[in-house]
Amino acid sequence: MITGQAIFIGFFGMAAVWFGIVVFRTFSMVRSAIALLFSQTALGAMFLTMQAEFLGVLQIMMMATEMSIMAIFMVMFMMDPGGMGKMDMTHQKRLSLIAGFVAFVGAVAVAVFIDWGPVTETIADTAQQTEALGLELLGRSMLIFETAGVTILTAMIAATAVAIKPVPIKIKTKDEK
Amino acid sequence: MGVELIWSLITGAALFGVGIYGALSQTNLVMIMMGVELILAGALLNLVAFWRYLHPDVAAGQMFVLIVMTVMALEMAVGFGIAIARFRSKGSVEMEEAVELKK
Repeated sequence: MITGQAIFIGFFGMAAVWFGIVVFRTFSMVRSAIALLFSQTALGAMFLTMQAEFLGVLQIMMMATEMSIMAIFMVMFMMDPGGMGKMDMTHQKRLSLIAGFVAFVGAVAVAVFIDWGPVTETIADTAQQTEALGLELLGRSMLIFETAGVTILTAMIAATAVAIKPVPIKIKTKDEK
Repeated sequence: MGVELIWSLITGAALFGVGIYGALSQTNLVMIMMGVELILAGALLNLVAFWRYLHPDVAAGQMFVLIVMTVMALEMAVGFGIAIARFRSKGSVEMEEAVELKK
């Protein structure tokens, strides 16, 4: 049966895919970043429709920040960030199209032909979901959660170390002193 | 089977396919990262749908989602670090100009 939830999931799903396609169809890199932001926001709206409020809000907040940073980097790095020159920056298009299509068809086949078992219609309210997640994070999955935290810290240090401008160290000799 | 679950999985598959196309076809490092973001977004949607419609009582499902979100953030951070280093040394983040990495 088509419920209101199914209609909204379909609508936001189509929006997410459409904006995902726009990312690679526009010549403007800034527009690409904004299209990706809209795609990820539509995904967050899907989560909200699925009554996963915490994950939906987290997705929208994280992606808004990430894509804003991405747009700034686009302007910094690109010769033509506005896409006025209509430069084609693609290669092996045919192979990529085939690979993308095969991946899509394969995943859809798995989604449609596998019996996933009984579907649960009802879900606990948001406060209970968040409480259960908090207990999970600080209980059974604490090691995974802590590992993710340490990995983030390592990546932050690594990214800064890679990006920082190397400063030549000059050691003064006795005569120069 | 629930229509919502199937539609979510098909949307995830479409995002995954578009991401594969983008990651393989683009020549710019930042655009390749956008493709990888879409691939991860497809995985994220599948995880949320499986948790919501099959095992909503198991909070570990949300934990997986948080891990994938962490991976997305890390990919961006490290990718931009590499992009800055590359731009500083070569003045471009075009991957077709990075053939010397193969040597």
